Amino acid sequence: MLWVDKYRPKTLDQVMVHQEIAQNLKKLVTEQDCPHLLFYGPSGAGKKTLIMALLRQIFGTSAEKVKVENRNWKVDAGSRTIDLELTTLSSNNHVELTPSDAGFQDRYVVQEIIKEMAKNRPIDTKGKKGYKVLVLNEVDKLSREAQHSLRRTMEKYSASCRLILCCNSSSKVTEAIRSRCLNIRINAPSEEETVKVLEFIGKKENLQLPPGFAARIAEKSNRNLRRAILSFETCRVQQYPFENNQAIPPMDWEEYISEIATDIMKEQSPKRLFQVRGKVYELLINCIPPEIVLKRLLHELLKKLDAELKHEVCHWAAYYEHRMHLGQKAIFHIEAFVAKFMSIYKGFLIATFG
Amino acid sequence: MDMDIPLPEELELLEANSHYYDEPCLDPSSPDPYSSSAARSPDSPPSASPEINGQKRPRHSVDSESPSDENKRAKIIDVDENAGIQVDDDDYEEDWLRYSPPPQDSNTTVAGVQEEIYLSRYASAIDGDFLPVTAPSSGDRVYARVCRVECELRTKKLDVIGQSNDLISEPFDVLLQRIEQQAFNKALQASSEHQSDVIVSETPIVHEQLWVEKYAPNSFTELLSDEHTNREVLLWLKQWDSCVFGSEIRSTSDEVLSSLRRHTSAQYHKYTDSSFSSKSRGRKWSSGSYRNSNNLDHGNTKGIQDPWSKKSRLTGPPEHKILLLCGSPGLGKTTLAHVAAKHCGYRVVEINASDDRSSSTIEAKILDVVQMNSVMADSRPKCLVIDEIDGALGDGKGAVDVLLKMVSAEKKPDTGKENIAREEKSRRSKKGHKNASLSRPVICICNDLYAPALRPLRQVAKVHIFVQPTVSRVVSRLKYICNKEGMKTSSIALTTLAEYTDCDIRSCLNTLQFLNKKKEALNVMEISSQVVGRKDISRSAFDIWKEIFQKRKVKQEKKSYINCGSSSGEFDFLHSLITNCGDYDIILDGIHENFLQLRYHDPVMQKTVKCLNYLGVSDLMHQYIMRTQQMPLLVYQPSLAISLHRLLAQVQKPNIEWPKSYQRYRTISMEKMDILRAWHQKIAPHISRHLSTELFVEDLISPLLHILSPTTLRPVALHLLSEKEKNDLAQLVNVMVSYSITYKSIKSDPLPSNLRNELALVVSVLSFHPPINDFIHFKDHRSDHHVLSLAMKQVLLHEVEKQKILQLNTGRSENITDEPKKEEQTLVHKEATTADSAKITVKGEGSGRESIENTMNIPSTKHGNPSTSINSSSWVSNRCTIANAKAKTSGNSRKPSGGFNFFDRFRKTSSKNSQDADTTIQKEAPLERDLRPLLFKFNEGFTNAIKRPARMREFFQ
Repeated sequence: MLWVDKYRPKTLDQVMVHQEIAQNLKKLVTEQDCPHLLFYGPSGAGKKTLIMALLRQIFGTSAEKVKVENRNWKVDAGSRTIDLELTTLSSNNHVELTPSDAGFQDRYVVQEIIKEMAKNRPIDTKGKKGYKVLVLNEVDKLSREAQHSLRRTMEKYSASCRLILCCNSSSKVTEAIRSRCLNIRINAPSEEETVKVLEFIGKKENLQLPPGFAARIAEKSNRNLRRAILSFETCRVQQYPFENNQAIPPMDWEEYISEIATDIMKEQSPKRLFQVRGKVYELLINCIPPEIVLKRLLHELLKKLDAELKHEVCHWAAYYEHRMHLGQKAIFHIEAFVAKFMSIYKGFLIATFG
Repeated sequence: MDMDIPLPEELELLEANSHYYDEPCLDPSSPDPYSSSAARSPDSPPSASPEINGQKRPRHSVDSESPSDENKRAKIIDVDENAGIQVDDDDYEEDWLRYSPPPQDSNTTVAGVQEEIYLSRYASAIDGDFLPVTAPSSGDRVYARVCRVECELRTKKLDVIGQSNDLISEPFDVLLQRIEQQAFNKALQASSEHQSDVIVSETPIVHEQLWVEKYAPNSFTELLSDEHTNREVLLWLKQWDSCVFGSEIRSTSDEVLSSLRRHTSAQYHKYTDSSFSSKSRGRKWSSGSYRNSNNLDHGNTKGIQDPWSKKSRLTGPPEHKILLLCGSPGLGKTTLAHVAAKHCGYRVVEINASDDRSSSTIEAKILDVVQMNSVMADSRPKCLVIDEIDGALGDGKGAVDVLLKMVSAEKKPDTGKENIAREEKSRRSKKGHKNASLSRPVICICNDLYAPALRPLRQVAKVHIFVQPTVSRVVSRLKYICNKEGMKTSSIALTTLAEYTDCDIRSCLNTLQFLNKKKEALNVMEISSQVVGRKDISRSAFDIWKEIFQKRKVKQEKKSYINCGSSSGEFDFLHSLITNCGDYDIILDGIHENFLQLRYHDPVMQKTVKCLNYLGVSDLMHQYIMRTQQMPLLVYQPSLAISLHRLLAQVQKPNIEWPKSYQRYRTISMEKMDILRAWHQKIAPHISRHLSTELFVEDLISPLLHILSPTTLRPVALHLLSEKEKNDLAQLVNVMVSYSITYKSIKSDPLPSNLRNELALVVSVLSFHPPINDFIHFKDHRSDHHVLSLAMKQVLLHEVEKQKILQLNTGRSENITDEPKKEEQTLVHKEATTADSAKITVKGEGSGRESIENTMNIPSTKHGNPSTSINSSSWVSNRCTIANAKAKTSGNSRKPSGGFNFFDRFRKTSSKNSQDADTTIQKEAPLERDLRPLLFKFNEGFTNAIKRPARMREFFQ
């Protein structure tokens, strides 16, 4: 398996990056009670790893013995019955699922699963830990209705069921839910932390790391630990022993976006915009989320931009991203941003060089 | 005399469009005098001919004068008729049924110049030239042949005029007026005499009748629709004659058909020699060699048409059994179908949208129409007209299906059969067969030819697309009607009205009647503002895009009577256009797709930004409406499109394409998402839980591809690799297995790939099984991913397969517990030692397991990990014994998972019993061995070059 998985910390004690949080969690759990938790933070920061370690801390190794299930629910919703199908991971003590996969019917999933878990509440010999844990992924993608229906059930069944919510952005989780949970923010690891992890892996793998090499990878990885470890392994596969100036292979889609940015900088015209549209479509076709496309594009453009334009461009990027979230056809808004940028930039060029 | 009544109308019409002239002249004439004259015809010819020949020629030598002359003559004939002999209608019919074709000798007269009229109900009865004549009221069709008797009768009068002077003594207008007056008097008389079946006479009585119905054409010649189409329809109907009327009456001859053909083609090509073309009037009458040229002409067309007509003759019904008329509403499709069918002697049975159109009822109905003859009074054969066939999709399909079934049933029997046989067949089928065939003409009428329900029908039917009649024709008709109704209009106003309604005569008439009721005159300036019905024209999306992208040409004439400012007019126009289309989503998509290709002036891209902003707003709005279901808000969508039009409209013609890329993006990304999901589910949960499907593309795939195809790996046999390389390979295989990636030969490859067989010649392309390398393929982008050689891929594939089997056997336990193997083994060992007390020797067990792992074909009996999902029976029994023995430790680590519980309990007892019975390992071991299923993998399409026998026990070693 990949190093990412191989060197994933299994227990809270092994955690290298967010040690403080890990210790706090450990304390929290050992005091026999655990509130609902909401983990949020950027991807690649270690939310899931922490959650798994926490589960192990609560339930022991049995939490790691999971089975994949394709569950079907038949929900009575007034006049009609709704059939739902969702993949869940479950162990004896916890269930893990991504309710947003159910689309707009996620509300029923959330309600049903919690009720179900409350019904067959595990009775332990000691009478303790009489609760199950429900891990919900991507809570920020839950529909508003689902979030509303979640908050009541959270309270009602809190005796038998604890929730661990996991999302990227807490702003998309309603206030009501946030206030019912203990919010834990998982930062993206700093570059030093990343370097530390990489060096740890290097040591375990018996690799000779040239000085500064890990730092370069960390810098490239954009404070995403998963990406850092992956590119570290890629480097290892491509060339070992390492050289100090070894190229770190970039992500393909990021390269593609930087190509687009170059295109935009070269020429600003409707014709060019049309070409850009084709390329953006290519990215979207390959399942790159439009928000990330826009973000990355902005990033690439800012690199090449005059300082005085940066502020304005950022403003418009935010503006169009907001519209993109409100709307449905992401391509319209990405393209509108590109057009806006072209317009600003061209105006700027004309103003500067006449 | 009812026959005369239409005369004034016809004259009116005649005035309006002179090219239509021939038919009106002849048409109203009651066939009676002709018939009588025709009956007499064979007697007289030779004597009269030379004289006439001599007389006529000089008269017509002046070409310019001839039209009026001729006109006048026709009038005279008419007048004459009015006064003339009348034979009872029924009598006449009978007469003509019995009538036999005239002797050929009449033809032999060289003086073919004379036009004598000679009538027959069937064109076949006439040889030589003929003119089709239809009585407007009854719809009876007769064919008039030019023959000399009539000439003899008339010549005197004609001569008086013709010889006395080249010019007429009285002015033409006066003559006309007189005739009209005369006719009118007659008509008045007639109407007072027999009111029963006169149409016009109803006018004063039934005032409420719609004009549309009142002035609906009753005869073929009155039809307003395009002449060419009319004739084609008639021709098609005529082709049925041999089949429908076949046995009873003489069928329409080839000649008639071909001449009909000729006319249509002539009309189509503006063929000047056509007897219906107005321009050639003079020539027809004047040129002495008319007959000759006509003969020649005839011969020619015959030569061309011969094979065709012969074929049609033989097969009976025409090739296409169904006629499909399509065109926008109000052009007179239904009217044409009715009139033409009536004209050809059919009784029309109409099925339209208001009838029940479910498949079963319609089948019965069609069968009824198509195969049976009523024994009731009206014994004419029926012609089925299915109106609005495209209307109701669900039910309309029933009708289409039935028709198709009948047509296909028809196709099965040999085409060369004679009519009689066919007739018999259909009769038979009526009795017993379920497969009914069409033996009567079926005319289907639709507005939208490309309605999905009509797709199959389009292929088997003869399709006629209606075109708009010319404005002048519509206007002249309107004018005539207005005159008739005593309404004051100007032809300019009528023209405007006709244009406004796109020559929809129905809506024109309704409008006129409405205005007439209100006692208002049609006001040119107010057409758009007046309560004139404006049709809901739904245009295709393409038209709308064109309108949006293209600036309208400054239409002077339009502007002149659209009073309001051009901009607001344009706004209204576009608004109604887009609103009528209704599918805003596709319209805006189309704009988005195409607007960047336009050449609009936009130096700093501000227009483009604006456009995209509008599009963005439309998207937001759409999303909001869909989410909140506030459909009324949709009314604001068109205005966005209109503002885009303001920004973008160009004079030059835009090149518009259907918006495909968004749909393409949707479908492909869905597909790829599905691939990812499927992959995600295949990956063991301890890995997949940390990744979401989005992250796969974002973070994982690029590095993974690098990792999976290392450049350092040498494609050599495994035993030649160094220790380090072996480790690398093992690591690689491990990765591939844990991410459930394999190589797979692409299906297009003809040769099945072979993994163990190292045939380098086999050209097989191995690619990743979840096609993850697709995700980094961007257009115009070159990625520097290294691709492994085929041999290496094959090695990897083999190794991966092996590893998979291994893992399957050892259970997924390692993956689940995420512990290094060594650790686990020791754990197992420890557990096993504690299990020692439970009558199983650790050693035997341990060694057994190890040997098993080595052979890798037998499921191991690692019972330290209850969570393994593989349970061969032996394994379960083993595990259960341990569980039994170690009840105290099972609390935390070895609690069997919920799903297993019931069966576990069940097995526990049974295995306990069995183990109580024989507790020795010696007995257990062979039992275990027997129970172990032998695993083998069969590769489909795999051929091993060398086969050698193998014994079972070799596998176990």
